[in-house]
Amino acid sequence: MSRLAAGGLIDRGAPVSFSFDGRVLAGLAGDSLASALIANDVRVVGRSFKYHRPRGILTAGSEEPNALVTLGAGDRAEPNTRATTAELFDGLQARSQNRWPSLGFDLMAVNQLFAPILVAGFYYKTFMWPAFLWERLYEPLIRRAAGLGALSGLPDPDHYDRNHAFCDLLIVGAGPAGLAAAVTAGRAGLRVILADEDWRLGGRLLAERRVVGALPSHAWASVAAAELARHANVTVLTRTTVFGIYDGCEYGAVERLTDHLPAPPSGAPRQRLWKIIAKRALLATGAVERPLVFGGNDRPGVMLASAVSAYLNRFAVAPGRRAAVFTTGDSAWRTARDLLDAGVEVAAVIDARPDPPEAAAAAMRREGVEVLAGAVVTDALGGPLKAIEVREENGRVRRIAVDLLAVSGGWSPSIGLGSHLGDRPVWSDAIHAFMLDRAPPGMAPIGAAAGRFSLSQALNDGVREALAVADAFGVARGAEFALAADQETVRLSPLWDVAKSRTKAFVDFQNDVTRADITLAVREGFTSVEHLKRYTTLGMATDQGRTSQLNGHALMAAAAGKSIAEAGVILARPPSVPVAIGVFAGHHRDEHFRPERLTASDDWARSHGAAFVDAGLWKRAQWFARPGEDDWLQTVNREVLATRSGVGVCDVSTLGKIDVHGPDAPALLDRLYVNRMSTLAVGRVRYGLMLREDGMVMDDGTVTRLAADRYFVTTTTVNAARVMQHIDFARQVLWPELDVQACSVTEQWSTWSVAGPRSRDLLQALLPDLDLSNRALPYMNATALRWRGARARLFRVSFSGELAYEISVPADRGALLPEALMAAGEAFSATPYGTEALGVMRVEKGHPAGAELNGQTTAADLGLDGLMSKKKDYIGRVMARRPGLTDSHRPRLVGLEPIDAGARLRAGAHLVPQGSDRIAANDQGYVTSAAFSPTLGHWIALALLERGPARHGETVVVHDPVRGGDVEARVRHPIFIDPDGSRLRG
Amino acid sequence: MAEPFDIVERRGLALASVMARKGVQAAALGPEFPEGPQCVAKGEMMLVGVGPGAWLAVSEGGGEDWPGPLEQRLAGRCSISDQSGAYVLLHIAGAGARTLLQRGVAIDLHPDVFVAGSAATTAIAHIGVILWRPAAEEAFDLAVFRSYAAGFRRWLASQSL
Repeated sequence: MSRLAAGGLIDRGAPVSFSFDGRVLAGLAGDSLASALIANDVRVVGRSFKYHRPRGILTAGSEEPNALVTLGAGDRAEPNTRATTAELFDGLQARSQNRWPSLGFDLMAVNQLFAPILVAGFYYKTFMWPAFLWERLYEPLIRRAAGLGALSGLPDPDHYDRNHAFCDLLIVGAGPAGLAAAVTAGRAGLRVILADEDWRLGGRLLAERRVVGALPSHAWASVAAAELARHANVTVLTRTTVFGIYDGCEYGAVERLTDHLPAPPSGAPRQRLWKIIAKRALLATGAVERPLVFGGNDRPGVMLASAVSAYLNRFAVAPGRRAAVFTTGDSAWRTARDLLDAGVEVAAVIDARPDPPEAAAAAMRREGVEVLAGAVVTDALGGPLKAIEVREENGRVRRIAVDLLAVSGGWSPSIGLGSHLGDRPVWSDAIHAFMLDRAPPGMAPIGAAAGRFSLSQALNDGVREALAVADAFGVARGAEFALAADQETVRLSPLWDVAKSRTKAFVDFQNDVTRADITLAVREGFTSVEHLKRYTTLGMATDQGRTSQLNGHALMAAAAGKSIAEAGVILARPPSVPVAIGVFAGHHRDEHFRPERLTASDDWARSHGAAFVDAGLWKRAQWFARPGEDDWLQTVNREVLATRSGVGVCDVSTLGKIDVHGPDAPALLDRLYVNRMSTLAVGRVRYGLMLREDGMVMDDGTVTRLAADRYFVTTTTVNAARVMQHIDFARQVLWPELDVQACSVTEQWSTWSVAGPRSRDLLQALLPDLDLSNRALPYMNATALRWRGARARLFRVSFSGELAYEISVPADRGALLPEALMAAGEAFSATPYGTEALGVMRVEKGHPAGAELNGQTTAADLGLDGLMSKKKDYIGRVMARRPGLTDSHRPRLVGLEPIDAGARLRAGAHLVPQGSDRIAANDQGYVTSAAFSPTLGHWIALALLERGPARHGETVVVHDPVRGGDVEARVRHPIFIDPDGSRLRG
Repeated sequence: MAEPFDIVERRGLALASVMARKGVQAAALGPEFPEGPQCVAKGEMMLVGVGPGAWLAVSEGGGEDWPGPLEQRLAGRCSISDQSGAYVLLHIAGAGARTLLQRGVAIDLHPDVFVAGSAATTAIAHIGVILWRPAAEEAFDLAVFRSYAAGFRRWLASQSL
């Protein structure tokens, strides 16, 4: 066990049991998975992406490239979880990744032997090798050999929700700068959101042993957190990562609600997506320490100095027994002190600079620690680490036995978020890193994220910037808040490359990009950072290169003879950390993928055996199967025959319904429809056809005149919203001078079609007081009535070709209507029918519908050119006269009946002349709708055929290359039944 | 954050879309016709602004001839469409009401921003809603098209505070 005897922010009274690769281990509440693994002396945590090298733990934060594990099992398995940010809980199961068959013995590690060919651009170079090997050899090999964790392949058992938040000030990161800002802004009464990915507020205040005011830094963080909890105007989000910035001062964040719990409470969402609109934001994300590039720098036991300190101070675990520190700056000297104070032997502090901090160096020497100035570590040996080779200032190479090497290559501000909107960071010679020059609107970096690395600067930045926001909003500042921290030095002389190491030196640990890969890429001409990224995959792993980017760019710049400033930096893109796709989907998955619309009769239909079909968002009853019917066609045939011989009822509420009111309503409708509506008498109904501006048919429906200045318009189900939009565009934009109002009343009316020779009898039984005679209510007339006290309407219209009506009642009574219709129709064996029978009857009647109103047909194509008024203007009139649209060879609507009465016609089949080759050049049209007509006893179809109306009586071949089988069919008029319409008027 | 809230369906209300005719200003129609996204109550009727010159009328006592009386009162000045059956109205009240709605509403419902008398035509979970806050307390009224009501209830049920 490597747990220190004292210290740390862990609960020694709360032991936690967890497993790693099946081994049951013990940790403490407050541990991360990484710290608990260290406590159990687990040093190898995973295998690397390409070479399958053993890897340990490099960092103590979300920038971790190495220690990726799969958490959980079965459908809750979460691959590529960073052990450094996973909060330990009782029963946690973790598994290492990318090893086969086991972590200790990985067959794929032979990849290292092939390393000479697995170089930068390997994947692209395979494209240039013999092509026939690509699909069979290269691709499968690469896919199997490379990779990280695997998805479970099972449906996600958890659910996710979202929240929308608004604030004056969003503070990203609750380290010293963020906490100081939040307390200051909270006291000023601003609406504040403070978000931090950790489960505990404090950031480096928890990882370092510092003093703020008179308190140890972690204690001050606790005091600040307690104060924030008391401010009603401050929302503190722990376990929350702000992952992206979007236009309009919008921030995306993911809150992990139950990932840290042994058993998620039932019903609780696992994670929550936050959309935060923040007037101002402070980027207090701190800085990421950079590794150093030397041979074997990826070996387990090589760890960032800041991480070593975090494990010692926050988690009270020692990542090694005998350590060395290799640094280029002052901050790692504090790690050396932390190691000594924790009782870890420190063999040497190796500072690449000739002038290490004097006081710290003297203190180390006093403790018997060797201080090597101007020296570098050239190679780390052993896996896990056993020794390092050091090249001293005089060139002498020495081997020092250690099992832990703390490295520090300096600090890069965590400014990825700041470049999400395209602001390119600029190089700073002062801090040897890229900084935000410009930031997204309303955002400012503070503290280490702004390159001000000392604790005092961070605290003061937080206070000052929060006060500036308070002043900008004109609110009082609140109680005085002065902060002082112990002093530190932050000098740094970066060392981008330790040249002349014997073994592989890694730059990007997660994607296994080495120093040699980068120099090779430069030799091959990839000297732009963007090209380098794509060619070598530098920075393209799940960690987005947070520890590797700058080292890689510096190496490229050096190899290309440029400065780092000239080489530049790539832009970060959201999300800054991997976010489960389920978080973005939220509620909208499975049956909730999109909202569904139900008619008022939905329950009734379900209880009467309905099968349902999607029509836009609507669920419509497709047919009503009865016991004993085992084939849908059997059911539909019954419904059609029952309607044509007796009476059928069908819910048609989904059709779009629009009220068009106002003195200029007649004028507007004349311009919208090809036929005239201003001449329609009150109480009359007219079929109407609308064109798009380009002359193609847009939609059809009925228009009823309810009063001189009131019309009621219907649309097809799928075009309801489009027609509403079209009408609003016409009245608001095209002709604002017209006094006309329009609004959708689709939802107001529940409408049922009552069709068939007994439809009048059924309605008379339902409405005994109403005169339904031909004289009182002729075909294409409408009347208002009362049904059970409610305002209702009856229209005598027909889609089926039978004597038919549509009855509308307010939708809140709609659930009662089918019951009432069926009761009234009991004596006539009334039959409910669905959309399939509706479709069969309209094909029998030759009515164009969805498949014919496909956006590519003209009124003439559908045989409706007779409706087009020559006495008025209307939308689409001029464009409908284009030569291509009036070409007599255009495919036009016809009916088809098979020569062999038993043959089946299918929609989508193409029409070719008899005796011609079945090739595209002979294609003369296609079948738009096909149905079995129980009335006629054979299949029938509607089709669009070149010069169709002139070819009635001709036989054509219906060619169906997809489903096979060619059928000969006779071309005929599209109306198959009751061509003179006597049934309609009966 | 288990803040309590109550959801009640308001039944028996008479609703109508009211659209001003050309050139008719809200002010000329009466003080109960708000100019923007607000709601104003007068007597038994609340008018909720849903667009320029457009309101949703919500009446506690519509009567059998609804929207006849409204049509007579506004004859020649507004076009009226009965919508009594078109919407399901929900009243969501209590300390958790705002927390609940904010899960779905992408506009700020803070009482200092969405003050008493505010209204919004917006969407929750891809479902169109008209939302208004009649008074200062944490209580909201919400109108959802009837065909979407079942889906909206499922969204409500999926939320945990």
